[in-house]
Amino acid sequence: MPKEFEPNIVAFLCNWCSYAGADLAGTSRIQYPPNVKIIRVMCSGRVNPIFVLNALQEGVDGVIIGGCHPGECHYETGNYLARRRMTVLKKILEYIGINPKRVQMAWISASEGGKFAEVIKTATDEIKKLGPISQIKRRNKW
Amino acid sequence: MVDNKKLQGEIKKILGRNDVKHVICYSKGTYGFQTTPYFVSKKDDIEKIIFSPLCVNNLSLYVKFDEGTEKIGIVVKGCDSRSLVQMIQEKLIPREKLIIVGIPCNGVIDPKKVRQKIPEELENIDVVEKNDKFIFKRDGKKQKIPKRELVFDKCLVCEYPTPIIYDILVGEKINPLGKDEYKQVKDLESKSLDEKWKFWEKQFSQCIRCYACRNVCPACYCKECMAEQLNPQWLRRSVNLSENTVWNVMHAFHLAGRCTDCGECERVCPMDIPLMLLNKKVEKDVRELFDYLAGVDVDEKPLLAMFKPDDPEEDIK
Repeated sequence: MPKEFEPNIVAFLCNWCSYAGADLAGTSRIQYPPNVKIIRVMCSGRVNPIFVLNALQEGVDGVIIGGCHPGECHYETGNYLARRRMTVLKKILEYIGINPKRVQMAWISASEGGKFAEVIKTATDEIKKLGPISQIKRRNKW
Repeated sequence: MVDNKKLQGEIKKILGRNDVKHVICYSKGTYGFQTTPYFVSKKDDIEKIIFSPLCVNNLSLYVKFDEGTEKIGIVVKGCDSRSLVQMIQEKLIPREKLIIVGIPCNGVIDPKKVRQKIPEELENIDVVEKNDKFIFKRDGKKQKIPKRELVFDKCLVCEYPTPIIYDILVGEKINPLGKDEYKQVKDLESKSLDEKWKFWEKQFSQCIRCYACRNVCPACYCKECMAEQLNPQWLRRSVNLSENTVWNVMHAFHLAGRCTDCGECERVCPMDIPLMLLNKKVEKDVRELFDYLAGVDVDEKPLLAMFKPDDPEEDIK
C-alpha cells in the first residue's frame, strides 16, 4: 500500500509571540502534526520573501509565517510590514500558478498555544490536499 | 512632434551654465530604427541632438550611478519622468542635481512591431509624426503607417504623457492618452493555476539569466544584487526552471510599488519574455490593495516601508 503523502512544512515564528505560543502548545501537551519544522526569527518582519521562495525550492510544501497580533509587535511595526510584503508575494505566486495556500500567515500570541496547534493542523490538512510542490523545486542537488 | 531646433536651443542654454557636467539626450543611431543615448558636454555637438518617435530608451537609467556633485541635464518623456520621481523619492539623487528637460510624448515606436511591418535591413531612416500616422521616408518614397499599430502597448494606455516633473518643457502639455484597464493581466488572472503555470513555465524556461532586465531597469540600483550575492547565496547560478522562476519572481517583488511601467525590461529581453505582464500585475494589485501608484509623487513614502493598520488581511489566521 502506498504511503500517504506527508507534507513538509516550515514555520517562521517570531521570537516574542508565535514562538512562545508554540512553546506553550508544547508545555501544555497539545497535540499538533509533526510535519512542521520551526525556525525562530526575531520578528515576522525579518522574513524576507526569498526565505519563502528558497524554502519552496528546497522541497518544502508549505510555509507558515507567524507573528504577533497587529499592534502588539515587540518592535511596534514589524508585523504590519511583513503583512504587506507577504500579501504582495502571495499575489505574485498565485499569478504564476503556485497555489497561494502554500504560504500562510497567522497571528499567534504567546498565550495562544491552542491557536498555534489549530493553525498547524489546518495548514497541514490543506497542504496535504494540494500534494507535493512540483513547480519550483530544485532538481539538481549540488 | 517636438521641434528639434527648440530642443537643441534649450540644451545649449543648459550647457552654457558652468555647473553642468553633461546633458543626456538622444542622437541618431547608426542603422535601422535605432536612436542612441547621447551625452553632450560641448556646444559643438548640439546639432546631433534629436528627438523623434524612435527615441525609446529610458535615459533616467544613466543618472542612477552618477556620484559626482555637478549637475546633470536629462531629456525625459512622460514615462521616464516617473522613473526620476521614483529615484528622487527613494533619495537616490537629489532633485537639485537634475535639470530636467521634459518632452510631452504621444507614444514611441516599438522596435519589435516596426520590424514586422518593415523587415528589410535599412540605413538609418527618418520618421515623422503627423496626426495619427507615422511617415517613414526612404528612397525618396513615403510610407504611412497608423500610429496605433506601431507604438508600444504601454503608450496606448499612457496616463502620464506629459512629464510629472520638469524644469523646462519643450512643447505643449498633452492630456492622458488612455487609462490602463490591465486587460491582459486580467485575462491571465482568470485562468486556472495550472494554465497560468503552463504559460509562465514556458516563458521562464526560456530565460538565460543575462540580467539585461535588471541592468536596464532604472529602479534596480543595489550595489550588490541579491542574485549575485554569494554569502548567503539566495540564487544559484545554474540556469534552470527553478532558479529562473525565483529570479523573475524576486525581481518583480523588488519592483513592487517601485516599477514605473517604463517597459525597458521587456524591450531589452533577448528571449522576449513578457516581463511587463508580471510587473503590471504587481502594479495592479498594489493599486487595488494599497491605493498606491509608483513614481507620481516625490513626497510619497515607499510602499513596503510603510503600512496602514487596516491593510487588507483576508487570509491571515
